[in-house]
Amino acid sequence: MNSALRLIGRRAISSIPVLLIVVIGTFFLLELAPGDAVDAYLVSIGGGDAALTEQLRAQYGLDQSPLSRLWLYVTALLRFDLGWSVGFNRPISELILERLPNTFYLMGSATALSFVLGTALGIVSGARIGSLRDRLLSIGSLALYAIPSFWLGLVLSVVFAVQLRWFPTSGIETIASGKEGFDRVLDIARHLVLPVSALSMIYLALFLRVMRAGMAEIWRQDFVRAARAKGITRPRLVLRHVARNALLPVVTMLGLQAASMLGGSVVIESVFAIPGFGRLAQEAVGLRDAPLLMGIIVVSAVLVILVNMIIDLIYAFLDPRVGASERNT
Amino acid sequence: MTQISRRSLLQGVGLLLASTALPSFAFAQDLPTGGRLVVAADSEPRNLNPAIVASNGVFFVASKIIEPLAEADASSEDGLAPRLATAWEGSSDGLSATFRLREGVTWHDGTPFTSADVAFSALEVWKPLQNLGRIVLANLEAVDTPNEHTAIFRFSKPTPFQLIRNALPVVTSVLPKHLYEGTDINANPHNAELVGTGPFKFAEYKPGEYYRLVRNEAYWGEGEPHLDEIIYRVLPDRAAAASAIEAEEIQLAAFSAVPLADLARISQVPGIKVIPEGYEGLTYQLVVEINHRREELANVDVRRAIAHAIDKKYVVDTIFLGYATAATGIVPHNAPEFYNPEVPQYDFDVAKANELLDAAGYPRGENGVRFSLELLPAPYFNETRQFGDYLRQALAEIGIDAQLVNNDSAAHQKAVYTDHDFDLAIAPPVFRNDPAISTTILVRSGAPVGTSFSNQGGYENAELDALIDQAAETVDTEERTQLYNELQVKVAEDLPLINVAEWGFITVARDSVLNVGNNPRWAVSNWADVAIQN
Amino acid sequence: MSALIRFARSPEGLAGLVILAVLAIVAALAPLLFPGDPLRIAGTPMIAPFTDPSLPLGTDRLGRNVLAGLVHGARASLIVGIAAAIVAVLIGSIVGTLAGFAGGLIDEALMRVVDAFQIVPGFLLALAFVSVLQPSLPIVILAIALGAWTGPARLARAEVLSIRERDYVASARIIGMHPLEIALREVLPNALPPVLALSAVIVAGAVLTEAALSFLGLGDPNIVTWGSMIAEGRAVLRSAPYLSIVPGIALIATVIGTYLFGEGLSAMLSRREQQS
Repeated sequence: MNSALRLIGRRAISSIPVLLIVVIGTFFLLELAPGDAVDAYLVSIGGGDAALTEQLRAQYGLDQSPLSRLWLYVTALLRFDLGWSVGFNRPISELILERLPNTFYLMGSATALSFVLGTALGIVSGARIGSLRDRLLSIGSLALYAIPSFWLGLVLSVVFAVQLRWFPTSGIETIASGKEGFDRVLDIARHLVLPVSALSMIYLALFLRVMRAGMAEIWRQDFVRAARAKGITRPRLVLRHVARNALLPVVTMLGLQAASMLGGSVVIESVFAIPGFGRLAQEAVGLRDAPLLMGIIVVSAVLVILVNMIIDLIYAFLDPRVGASERNT
Repeated sequence: MTQISRRSLLQGVGLLLASTALPSFAFAQDLPTGGRLVVAADSEPRNLNPAIVASNGVFFVASKIIEPLAEADASSEDGLAPRLATAWEGSSDGLSATFRLREGVTWHDGTPFTSADVAFSALEVWKPLQNLGRIVLANLEAVDTPNEHTAIFRFSKPTPFQLIRNALPVVTSVLPKHLYEGTDINANPHNAELVGTGPFKFAEYKPGEYYRLVRNEAYWGEGEPHLDEIIYRVLPDRAAAASAIEAEEIQLAAFSAVPLADLARISQVPGIKVIPEGYEGLTYQLVVEINHRREELANVDVRRAIAHAIDKKYVVDTIFLGYATAATGIVPHNAPEFYNPEVPQYDFDVAKANELLDAAGYPRGENGVRFSLELLPAPYFNETRQFGDYLRQALAEIGIDAQLVNNDSAAHQKAVYTDHDFDLAIAPPVFRNDPAISTTILVRSGAPVGTSFSNQGGYENAELDALIDQAAETVDTEERTQLYNELQVKVAEDLPLINVAEWGFITVARDSVLNVGNNPRWAVSNWADVAIQN
Repeated sequence: MSALIRFARSPEGLAGLVILAVLAIVAALAPLLFPGDPLRIAGTPMIAPFTDPSLPLGTDRLGRNVLAGLVHGARASLIVGIAAAIVAVLIGSIVGTLAGFAGGLIDEALMRVVDAFQIVPGFLLALAFVSVLQPSLPIVILAIALGAWTGPARLARAEVLSIRERDYVASARIIGMHPLEIALREVLPNALPPVLALSAVIVAGAVLTEAALSFLGLGDPNIVTWGSMIAEGRAVLRSAPYLSIVPGIALIATVIGTYLFGEGLSAMLSRREQQS
C-alpha cells in the first residue's frame, strides 16, 4: 500500500510543472486569437461603438499587458480562484461545477459501458482465437472503431429519437420536471442512452481489440501451457489465467483514453445539446473567453491526472509484481 | 398632408412569403387558458436587459417581461399598438414628443408604474447605454413629467417624430426606476433577473438548459396572458430544433430554428404548421460589404461588375428556398413609408460584368484570373455562409478569385469592423422600420472604428452624408421620404455596398399553439394573447 | 525482403493496402476525373442519386456535384491524414531522440512538456488552436499534429534509451563518432519501425479529427472535405440523408483501410523482433 501511495505522491509532484506548462501554453495560444471577449460580446448585442468597447475592456481588465494578465491569472489559480467569465458574466468555477456533473454522467457511463462490454466481448473473442466468432467480432470492432462518433450520434438520433420516439432527442433531463430521487435518475438515464451509445462505440472497439490482442499473446506463454497440462477446466483457464493477465494492458489503455474521451464529449454534447463541460469549451472558444477556456483546460488536465492516478492504484492492485518490487527495495 | 396609411400599405403589399398554413387568429374570449409553452432558444444572451441591449436575441425572451411604450401592429393607422403608452404625439417643430402613459399598471414587485420610470429609462439607460438608443435619442435633452401619467421628451435639435414612432417598439423598453436608480446599471443583478410590467414574470434560469417565465396574475391586459408558463429550451443546434418539435418536446421554433431545407418536409408532418408571418418588421438584409481601401474595389465599375455577377434569383430560390425577396436597394420592399422602387438595377449579366472589368483595366491573366481578394462571410447565419460559397463561385465566373475566410463571430467582428482586414464581407444587418435607426449607418462615413454593422469599408461620400444628416433632422414626413428616396438612388448608383436579398424568418409550431405570427414583430413581442389548445 | 513477404501473408495488411491503394489512386486522379473546382455549382440543387447520369450521386443544397466532392474530398482527407502524421512523427521523433540522448535535466524538462500535451485532450487542443487561428489546411494539419506527437515522442525516447547502452553505440562513441551522427546512423533506423506502425493509427485518428473539426464548422472553407460534406448534409438529414451518409461511409472505409494497413505493418515488425 505504501508503495502505491509513494507512486501517487511522486505523480502529484511531477504534475505541478506540467500544469504550469499547460496554463502558460494555453494563455499564449489564446493571445494569438483575433478578437477578445469584448468583441464577442459586441457581436451578440448587434454592435456597439468604440466608447462602449473601451469601457468594457477597462471593466474586465482586458486592456492590460499580456504578462500582467498572465501573472494575475496564475496567482489567482494558486488560490483556487478560476476567475470571472466575461462571456457568461459569472464566476468560472461556478460555471464549471455546474457543467461537470453532466459530463461525468456521460463519460462515466460511456467508460463503464465500453470497458465492461469491450472487455467481455474481447474475452469472448480471445477465448478461441481464429474461430468464426473471433473473426466476426474483429471485423465488427474494426467497423465500430472507424465510425465517426458525431455521425453515429446523428444517425442514432434520427432513427431512435425522432422516428421511433423511444428516447428523447436532446438534453440531460426533462425540463423543469421537478422529479426527485429515483425518478430523476431514470429520467437522466433515458436521456443519456443515445449519447452514451454514440460516444462509447469507439472505445468499446478499442478495449475489445486490446483485450483480444493481449489474450492472443498470453495463450502462447509457458505458464498457460503448463496450466492446461495440469488439466484446469476451460472456463477457469480462460478467465483466471489468460484474461486476468490480459486485463492489465486494457486498464492502462483506460487511463490513456481518459483525455481522448473528454475531447470526444465535445462533439457529442453538441449533437445532443447536453449542457456539459465539453460543450462549455466550444462555447468558450466562440465567446473568446480566454479565462474560461483556460479554466476548462486546467480542470481537464487535473481530471486526467487524477484518473491516471486511480489507474495506477488499480494497476498496482492487479499486478502484484509492481508492489513487490517496491517492497523489496 | 397625406400620410401614407401604414395599414393599407402593409395589407396591400403581399407578404414576402407564401404561407403554407393560415395562422389561427382566434378571438380573446374563445382562447383556452393555461398550459405551458416550450420554445426553442438558440442563444443565451449574456445581458438579458432589452433596455440596454436592443437586439432580437434579447427581445425573444425579455419582451415578455419588460414592455416598450408601444408595439408594432399591422392593423392600426400608424403601425403601432399601445403598450405602456396609450397615446403619442410629436410637436410640429420636432423639439418635443408627448406620451400619455397607461394607468393602473404595476411592476412585478407591486410598485406602481409612473412617468418617473420612463424619464429615468430614457435619460439614464436608452440614451447613454443602449446600442440603438444612442443613435435615435442622440438629441434627447430632458424628459418632463408634469404628472404621473405623462412624459414629454425634449430634444435639442429637431427630431422627426416619424423616427421616434418607428423606433418605439425597439428602443423604449421601460425599466423600474426604484430598482435601478443609484446603482451601476450595467452591473445591476436585475439585468439577469428581470423585473418589468409584462404578461410574464421571470422565474428561473438554468444556464445551458432553459429560461422559465410564469404568468403575471396582475397584468394590465384583461384576460391576458393565457399561458401559465413559457419555457425557453436552449438548443443551439439547428438540427436539434427540428427533431425536438417533431418529437413534441417543444411546441414552437421561431427565427428559422428549423432549417429552411427541412421546412418542406416538416410541413407535411401532421400536427405541425409552418408560419412565415410575424417577421415583417424584422427584415434582415443580405449585404456585400466592400472595403473601398482596396484599389480595385474603389473603382465603381468594378463594384458594378460584381453586382452584375450575382444572380439574385438563384440566391432567393436556392439559398433561401423562396423565403426571401431580391433586394433592389438599401431600403427593403416591406418598408412602405420609405421604399423607392425607381433605382438603378444591376441585372444578372455575366457578359456585362466581364466587359466592365475589361474596360476598367483588369484583364484576365493566364489562368483566367484578373485579381484575387479575401471574402469574409459573417458566421451568424447559415444563409450568409452559403451565400459566401455562392459568391465565390459567381466571382470566379468573372475572373475574380475570392478566397473564403472562415472566422467565428468574435474574429469576424474584429477583422471586418476593427482591423478592416477584408476585401469583401457578407453581413446580415437588420432594417428596423426606419432608415435612420440602423441602416444609414451602413453607408455614412465617420463611424468610429469598432462599431459593428456600420460603414467600416472606408467609403466617403460627402453628398450622401449630407443627405443622411438632413433626413435625420427633417420633421415633415413627406420631405423625409423624399430625402430617403434620393438616398436610395444615390446608393444604388455608387454602390458603397451591394444589397442582394431581404428575408424574414419562419416559425414552425405545433397546431395546438394559437395566435402565432399576428403582428409584424411577433417573435419579439409580448405573447400576451398566445394560447395552447389541449 | 522477408519483411515484405511477411506483410503479404497477413490478410489484414493486404486488405488495408488494397483499400488505401484504391483511395490513393482515386485521390490522385481527382483533377482528371472531375476537373475544375468541385465546389462550383454543377446543377439544380438536391438532385437525388442515380437519377441523372451526368451527376451519378446527385447534388447537394447549393447544386454541387456530390461525386466530385467525394473524390476531391478523398484527396483532402488523405493529405490531412498523412501530413498530420508526418508532422507528428517528425516533431515527436526529434523531441524524443533529443530527450533520450541528452538525459538529465533536458530529458526531464522535455518529458514534462510531453506530459503537458498528453494531458490536454487532443480534440480540445485542436479546437482551441483552429479557432484561434483561421481555419486553413496547414493550420488544421498542425492542430491535429499537436495532439498526436506525444506518442511518437515517447516511443522514440524509449527506443533511444534502450539502444543507447548497447555495445555498438558504445564502440561508436569510442571511435569518436559525433553523437548526432550516432543518432542518425544507428539509433533512428532502429527506432523508426515501431513509430511507423504507430503512424497508421495517427493517420486514422487525423482523418476522423479533421472530419469532426469540419463538422463543427472549423474546417478550411476553400476546399471540400468529407467532414464538411457531412456538416452540409446535416441540415437536410431527414429529407436527403444520403448527403451525410455517403461521405460518412467513405470516412469509415478510409479509417478501416488505414488501421488494417497499420496492423499489417505491426505484424511485419513484431515477428522480426521476435526473431532478433
